[in-house]
Amino acid sequence: MRYILQRIGQLVMVLLAVTAITFASVNVLGDPLTNILGPLASVDCTDVEAGLVEDISTRGGTSQGDCEVIALTRAEFNLDDPLPQRYVTWLGDIATGDFGTSFQNQLPVSTVIKNKLPVTLRLVGMGLFLSIMISIPWALLSAYRANRAFDNVSTVVSFGLLAVPNFAMGVILFYFFAVRWQIFPTRYDPSNAYSQIKSLVLPALTLALPLAATYQRLLRTDLITTLQEDFVHMARAKGLPSRTIMVRHALRPSMFSVLTVFGINTGALLGGTLVIEQIFSVPGMGGEIVTAIVRDDTPVVLGIVVIIVTAFVVVNLLVDLMYSILDPRVRRG
Amino acid sequence: MADDISTENTEVVLDEAELEIDDAVKKKLGVGFWIAIVWLVLVVGLAFLAPVLPIDGQNDVAAGGRLESPSMDHFFGTDAAGRDVFARTIWGARVSLSVGFIAILSGLFVGGPLGIIAGFFRGKVDAVISFIFLSLLSFPSLVLALLIVNSLDRSLKIVALVLGILAVAPIGRLARANTIVFAEREFVQASRVIGAKNGRIMVRELLPNVLIPMSALALLGMAVAIVAEGGLAFLGLSVKEGATWGKMILEGADPRTLRTGTHVSMSPIMVLFLTVLALNYAGDRVRSYFDVRETAF
Repeated sequence: MRYILQRIGQLVMVLLAVTAITFASVNVLGDPLTNILGPLASVDCTDVEAGLVEDISTRGGTSQGDCEVIALTRAEFNLDDPLPQRYVTWLGDIATGDFGTSFQNQLPVSTVIKNKLPVTLRLVGMGLFLSIMISIPWALLSAYRANRAFDNVSTVVSFGLLAVPNFAMGVILFYFFAVRWQIFPTRYDPSNAYSQIKSLVLPALTLALPLAATYQRLLRTDLITTLQEDFVHMARAKGLPSRTIMVRHALRPSMFSVLTVFGINTGALLGGTLVIEQIFSVPGMGGEIVTAIVRDDTPVVLGIVVIIVTAFVVVNLLVDLMYSILDPRVRRG
Repeated sequence: MADDISTENTEVVLDEAELEIDDAVKKKLGVGFWIAIVWLVLVVGLAFLAPVLPIDGQNDVAAGGRLESPSMDHFFGTDAAGRDVFARTIWGARVSLSVGFIAILSGLFVGGPLGIIAGFFRGKVDAVISFIFLSLLSFPSLVLALLIVNSLDRSLKIVALVLGILAVAPIGRLARANTIVFAEREFVQASRVIGAKNGRIMVRELLPNVLIPMSALALLGMAVAIVAEGGLAFLGLSVKEGATWGKMILEGADPRTLRTGTHVSMSPIMVLFLTVLALNYAGDRVRSYFDVRETAF
């Protein structure tokens, strides 16, 4: 129990640190006032406030009205507070579920996330599903006759898959399946549920192939170890068919390290779909955060970073806890 | 008594068996590793010599037209603007490899010392540094890179340094873990006994031992950095000036260019793939070569 609390405390600290860094960098490196108001923000109001300049708004110069807008905006977004105070205010808002309003289209950030997150989650879910569906049979087949032809070819293939950058994999799949053979659409088709799923197959496969290669390597190694255990010899001596031994007896005790890595990868995936979403024009969080960063839409950037980092941290915690439940030694170490 | 002797004997036999496996691993390093190195030397050499090689400039429009298929005149064909893809791949190698190299170098220079200090002193220093590493690792790496590159500028230096920040945590963690192992060893204790100061122990005793696993990771990390540059390119935020592999692949990745001029994206993809493969393989081999504990495989 103490171990769990310790881990949670550490992860909360990480969350705070990461959001603080993001908050500071978007606010210090860019001027939020300019991002909200555009060129209007560069109006110099000191003279107006001092009453030195008369109202010249009719001639397109500095005016009382502009300065009021600026003052109002500064107040609305708390821009006059010192940075740490603004961070705390923002953190408080987040804790109560208020992610702020997008600078660009005045939509609440929570709405933006609500629109985009499901698409990305579906993509990640499909990717994970495919990676498991590919890696488990693959590992079973190569461990069954380890170091024979199939296994050796598998080793080369999985090493190769790991050396294909995800964007290159995306372009290759895109070329063959969307452009050349036209099995899948070249652009994301949101018209109905079927077309949405169909549009996500290629990006999900792009996500899944390198993962499948990783899992196959891990699972194969563990399977080979398990197959030397006594209970496997026992099963074989009972005359059970190989297929039953592999699937029913050997697979489950070999899943340990795969599960761990699976968990760690899953946490990172939410932030790892940016490029893939871009290639297949998937309207998910990746595209949204890229647009938001380029347009200096601070609240959206911060909101999405919070979601991604929280997912990463929480999934890691869950993996850790699962690990310590499965293997009591970890708790003491 | 008799039992004791027999167990001693088996231990000796086991040790010998392990040594044999070690030798086998070392022999296995051979061909593949050297092929990888040859490829890397070739790519680096071509990139280095680009200005004196008889190839087109990276923005020269070649005679012969657009989207031409590979031929003896243009090994990789020409792109949508009529530029020679082979020449641009070599020019692109200059930027992509520099980004990878500078990134991993800065990662080594920051992460290495931090990791050694954390592993050597432990306690509070370790807690703080480990926390920094953990935070860096929790950050979605591409988002961090995007944030910084977008708000600063897209010069080669900035892009490389940003990717270097991403390399700090993994390298630092490895350095820390290795330092912890070596700090307990006899030669470190001996050096302490004869009165060596902390700084000297870290630089003279620990650094050389930590450097080998770090260099293996550096090869892998360079591949990661080169790939990350490509990722940035696809998000429109890679190095602004000149060709890079990522930008070239992006330029050839729209459906129309893919249909009529597949070579425009596939040629740099092939070169990128082989380079990443070579770096991964070499890194993997260097690691298992020096890792005395790893006996299987």
